[in-house]
Amino acid sequence: MTTAPHSKKRVCYYYDSDIGNYYYGQGHPMKPHRIRMTHNLLLNYGLYRKMEIYRPHKATADEMTKFHSDEYIRFLRSIRPDNMSEYNKQMQRFNVGEDCPVFDGLYEFCQLSAGGSVAAAVKLNKQASEICINWGGGLHHAKKSEASGFCYVNDIVLGILELLKYHQRVLYIDIDVHHGDGVEEAFYTTDRVMTVSFHKYGEYFPGTGDLRDIGAGKGKYYAVNIPLRDGMDDESYESIFVPIISKVMETFQPSAVVLQCGADSLTGDRLGCFNLTVRGHGKCVEFVKKYNLPFLMVGGGGYTIRNVSRCWTYETSVALGSEIANELPYNDYFEYFGPDFKLHISPSNMANQNTPEYLEKIKTRLFENLRMLPHAPGVQVQAIPEDGAAIEDSEAEEKVNPDERLPQRDLDKRIQHENEYSDSEDEGEGGRRDNRSFKGSRKRPRLEKGQEGVEGDLKKEDDIKTETKENEKDDKTNATSEEAKKDGSANP
Amino acid sequence: MPMPAEYHESHGNHENANFGLAATQDASNMTANMYRVGDYVYFETSSTSPYQIRRIEELHKTANGSVEAKVMCFFRRRDLPSTLIMLADKHQLASAEQQRSESPASTQSQKLENPDSTKDMTSKDGIGPKVMNKGGGKGGWLKAPLSEAQEPHGMDEGAGGGGVSELSTKQRHQMKHRELFLSRQTETIAATLIRGKCCVTLLNETESLLSYLNKEDSFFYCLVFDPTQRTLLADKGEIRVGSRYQADSIASVSLTAAERESDPRRLQDLETLVWTPRHSLTDRQIDQFLVVSRSVGTFARALDCSSSVKQPSLHMSAAAASRDITLFHAMDTLHRHSYDVAKAMSSLVPSSGPVLCRDEMEEWSASEANLFEEALNKYGKDFSDIRQDFLPWKTLKNVIEYYYMWKTTDRYVQQKRVKAVEAESKLKQVYIPNYNKAPSSSTAPNITTVVPMGNSNSSNGKTASILNGSSNGNITGDASGMLVVGVGGKPCESCQMSQSPQWYAWGPSHMQCRLCQSCWLYWKKYGGLKFQSIHSTFQVPTRIDDVDLDRKRGGAGSDEEGKGIGGAHRPHRCSIPSCGKEFKLKAHLSRHYASAHGVDLRGSGTGGGGGGGSPRPVMKTRSAFYLRTSALARAARRLCAAQLRTRHAARAPHQPVNAAPLRHLCASPQLTSKSPAELRLLARAVRPRPRPRVTDIATRLGDHPSPRQPGDWDWLALTAPAQRKQPDRVSFPRPPKAPDGSLLYERVPNKPEVDRLPLTPPQPQPAMQTQQTILKRTRPPFDEINGSDGFYSDVDWDEGIALNAGLPCGPPAKRAHHSQQLHTKHALEHVAPSVLPLAPPLNGRAAHPHSLPHGPPLSRSNARKQVISWMDAPDDVYFRASDQAKRLRRTLSSVELRRAARKPWRRLPAPLHPPHPQRASRGDDMVVILD
Repeated sequence: MTTAPHSKKRVCYYYDSDIGNYYYGQGHPMKPHRIRMTHNLLLNYGLYRKMEIYRPHKATADEMTKFHSDEYIRFLRSIRPDNMSEYNKQMQRFNVGEDCPVFDGLYEFCQLSAGGSVAAAVKLNKQASEICINWGGGLHHAKKSEASGFCYVNDIVLGILELLKYHQRVLYIDIDVHHGDGVEEAFYTTDRVMTVSFHKYGEYFPGTGDLRDIGAGKGKYYAVNIPLRDGMDDESYESIFVPIISKVMETFQPSAVVLQCGADSLTGDRLGCFNLTVRGHGKCVEFVKKYNLPFLMVGGGGYTIRNVSRCWTYETSVALGSEIANELPYNDYFEYFGPDFKLHISPSNMANQNTPEYLEKIKTRLFENLRMLPHAPGVQVQAIPEDGAAIEDSEAEEKVNPDERLPQRDLDKRIQHENEYSDSEDEGEGGRRDNRSFKGSRKRPRLEKGQEGVEGDLKKEDDIKTETKENEKDDKTNATSEEAKKDGSANP
Repeated sequence: MPMPAEYHESHGNHENANFGLAATQDASNMTANMYRVGDYVYFETSSTSPYQIRRIEELHKTANGSVEAKVMCFFRRRDLPSTLIMLADKHQLASAEQQRSESPASTQSQKLENPDSTKDMTSKDGIGPKVMNKGGGKGGWLKAPLSEAQEPHGMDEGAGGGGVSELSTKQRHQMKHRELFLSRQTETIAATLIRGKCCVTLLNETESLLSYLNKEDSFFYCLVFDPTQRTLLADKGEIRVGSRYQADSIASVSLTAAERESDPRRLQDLETLVWTPRHSLTDRQIDQFLVVSRSVGTFARALDCSSSVKQPSLHMSAAAASRDITLFHAMDTLHRHSYDVAKAMSSLVPSSGPVLCRDEMEEWSASEANLFEEALNKYGKDFSDIRQDFLPWKTLKNVIEYYYMWKTTDRYVQQKRVKAVEAESKLKQVYIPNYNKAPSSSTAPNITTVVPMGNSNSSNGKTASILNGSSNGNITGDASGMLVVGVGGKPCESCQMSQSPQWYAWGPSHMQCRLCQSCWLYWKKYGGLKFQSIHSTFQVPTRIDDVDLDRKRGGAGSDEEGKGIGGAHRPHRCSIPSCGKEFKLKAHLSRHYASAHGVDLRGSGTGGGGGGGSPRPVMKTRSAFYLRTSALARAARRLCAAQLRTRHAARAPHQPVNAAPLRHLCASPQLTSKSPAELRLLARAVRPRPRPRVTDIATRLGDHPSPRQPGDWDWLALTAPAQRKQPDRVSFPRPPKAPDGSLLYERVPNKPEVDRLPLTPPQPQPAMQTQQTILKRTRPPFDEINGSDGFYSDVDWDEGIALNAGLPCGPPAKRAHHSQQLHTKHALEHVAPSVLPLAPPLNGRAAHPHSLPHGPPLSRSNARKQVISWMDAPDDVYFRASDQAKRLRRTLSSVELRRAARKPWRRLPAPLHPPHPQRASRGDDMVVILD
């Protein structure tokens, strides 16, 4: 919009008018139609005219094999409902058939969903936008060579890979009720992507996402899992989301964020078991948006479609920073929203099995893990050290109490960022002063040397571990004050 | 577009229904007694055993108005075989130790399987319980202190290792009652047996166990128990590591500026801009343009003939022109003309006339819409089939788009109402008032039905072997009356209190133990004693052994269950009256039987098939057993027929028999002094029923060559066909005859064939005509609701089963008749089996308990009968006759042979050879195959 450019973000929205016409099959809960319902609501709410609307390209096989295996993509490209019988063996291998059925236009659907996320990521890279939205994406279960949980091609991974070209560290947050296993697995061993997933755990698809799954190799501590129980309500969700994301932002210091907004964590979802309202769900978007980082929002689960489109419409309005009425505007699918025809929904009176104590315990444990991360600000101010010297230096760095300096630094950065965005339209490509990614590129200088880096890095982690143990007492005493400060700094 | 009110109600019921209910009524009481899908509940199977813990998966209203719940089972520690418990504890110790050795926050996937223990178990019994680690990394699911708390008392105390004991002994003991094992097994129970809510959560390592102990009715689980495979597994997925799983093109740093430049892709290739907010128009101008384009659309509809037919009024045209497609087109037009309103506006009215944007909803003609609905009825939402067979001129996308718009119409609302009626039986929640009845009321289904009479003669070397007898016989008397008020004033077995408003008998009757009210409640809820029993002699077994487990596994549907009774906590006692020794394990008991009494427990049914070779029958999944009555018992039945009401008892085997007078009678010298031969005579006493010979009757009938009075015999003469009374309605008319005189039956097509049938119904034949009318008569509501021609009215449209009225439906007359015959036959056959509850699978003719569909309700509780899977079924045992056996059989007359087959336990009076044909064949020839 023309008014108040400083408070409003430049939002790009990706949508293909065909997406609503893909149909998973009779009785299948996944309905791409929900994306069209969202789109129509956006139009009639007048949000459509406030953002850049793009029709994404169809991602090519080349683009998709940046993550997926060639074989798998070839298979997806060739399989059709009428030739399924020839592919029996491969269908089993790639887990296509039951949850992930073969339907007409399957490959195109994948192309559109992946195309949107990739284009959005490129857009963010070029700094042509601050927030990109692709409700057709967010298919977080897809694996490298395997479909899973209604997901075939992992558009999120493809988007993040794109972002990694320009951003040293990318944060992935997943508020789907299911664990974001596909994304977590894809980046399980890298320290450049931190995956944070809030999900129902225990006798629930896909079965992964234990608190103790924290990543492997270089990626150890870079996977954060928050296992939750039935009945999460807005209040408890916020009570765990805010502190954890604040802490993650602080320790990991990403330069771009991807948020998977799976709407099956809403109350009354056909497959979900949480009790969130549209508002509570949207609060997560609001909170992440406050960090003013390049921000990619994607869709995901969501199987009570009227609530999904409510939720995503609201979240689009949050991203745009413009309020919308609770009264739903008339649109082609208005009748879906009866009997109240309101935007917001009320929670049910289901019991919340997540006690405050439980959430507190989880939080403490995750904070312990996050403390294991090499402290980003400390490493960042380092001049590029020689390989051998790195360890001692970082040790010395660790001993310095980071609390003192951090918040101010954080704050500074944030101010600077906002200015940048207001100017960025006029700047040419690459003209932006991106401190974060620049510093980040210096963070792990040794890794440029290739394989040696892995061992060295592991060693370093061990050292840090012992280091932290020594410092644990200090940390514990500091912990509470530290958190308080950081929470404050997260809400400028 | 205003919608009918009903539509609103039915549409949003999802999230709002629950809410409204709870809000309007007394909240506290309502929520406590309101059971929803997903709730964890206590569920009472028997008054003597603890509650079972279940999770409600579905709630159904049955035809008679009662509510059934489909539930997922959780098992207590005591429900698991001891071997598995040991394994679970070991596994957990290992993981705890592993966790201790690692840094506090880290656990990388590790194989935790304990190979030697697994092997050990496998060799011990043939089943091989295993802890399978699906994900490999079930690392340390319990903290070290818990792992000690979890140790069963049988285990080596030292094994716990150096962990700090956070919990007191008492707490450890109680902790064991809070652990559950999830199973993926479901069963169906009557909702009235639900006895309250509880809470079951997956234990998280960060939690302290005390939080469970301190909270009433809260349980945790870590492992999943598979009752059919008898395995435990950690329910955990796995994040795999390796180049095949991770994204591999991640450089360690982001690209340099030069590399970024070299990216050949241009943004234009990746995306097409269709709208941008950066323009000079105000919101107001955009809105105006939208109104203009809508008015152009309205006008265009007025000009368009096809549209003016569809939308006769101006209002309808305006409404159609306001659909989203016009708006999207308007926005696109604005964008295409660089947000110049004037240019955009003129493009709306090109030389060819005003622009008309129509979506699928409008595009489709009325007949196409009808076709679509018909197709939807026929195929369900299989849109590619619908397109192919009904609307080939549409694209699949057209059809799908139309479907989603069609859902907003009145037509859909009507369909939905039909569906809602069907869905009514599926409930979201159910209100169950507090359970106040005396516990004895629910005991009925669980009480022993067959009271074993004493077995005085063991002349054939085999006493009547009654499985479960150990737990059955002795407690029957007092199990029915649960409220034992004064059993000699013993203190509470658990808390040693001597005062309580209510006492409950507990444990084996000879111990005369009892529990005070609070401890009883604890026992019911948590399946153990609040405090460990002080009796060193009588250890409370913390688990049910195999037999009980089998009973559990069978779910509510099995027949043996009724016999199993809540003997869960009782040790195994030898059923030989003079002996009565107790054993902790059933295996021990059977060894005792074999050694002390020469009873081959496992072989008793299978004709020595078990022998010493296979260990399996002892641990058999589902012990098939039969009651073999002794001569004394049979004699007693005859003598006590009056008290016993044998026929009644046979029909209602689940009702307890008052054994006291019978026992008294049997113990009386009148009976005990009799010799076996006399007894046998007594038993047979009533049996020979004088039956006149056919010839006598025939001659007697022939003695009257003419009726005494004229007309006496008229009723015997056949009525002439013409005079016969015709039924008002022929339900199943005789099909037409073929030229050769045979009846022409209409073939009933299978479902796939139905799908393939041509659209036009086959020419109805006369017989079919009647069927059609019947159909219509029986299903009027559908016709009314649809308001249409009733052609596709009798169809559950969501199921996608298409049955056009013209097609033959319903079973043909012949078949119906057939099944009826079958039924009566069954009923006849099963009079006997209900007396003799189970016939052993012998002689290759396994009489399966589950083949009694018409028998009296033998199952415990009112749970629905389930078809058991083959996994649960008794092991297949079949008898391979050796040559010798075959030869022997040939010596028997067919009558004898048949009789032997029916009563396989009876000795055959075969003179020459070993008395029992089965026995005779023991040896190499004999092959018993257990799968």
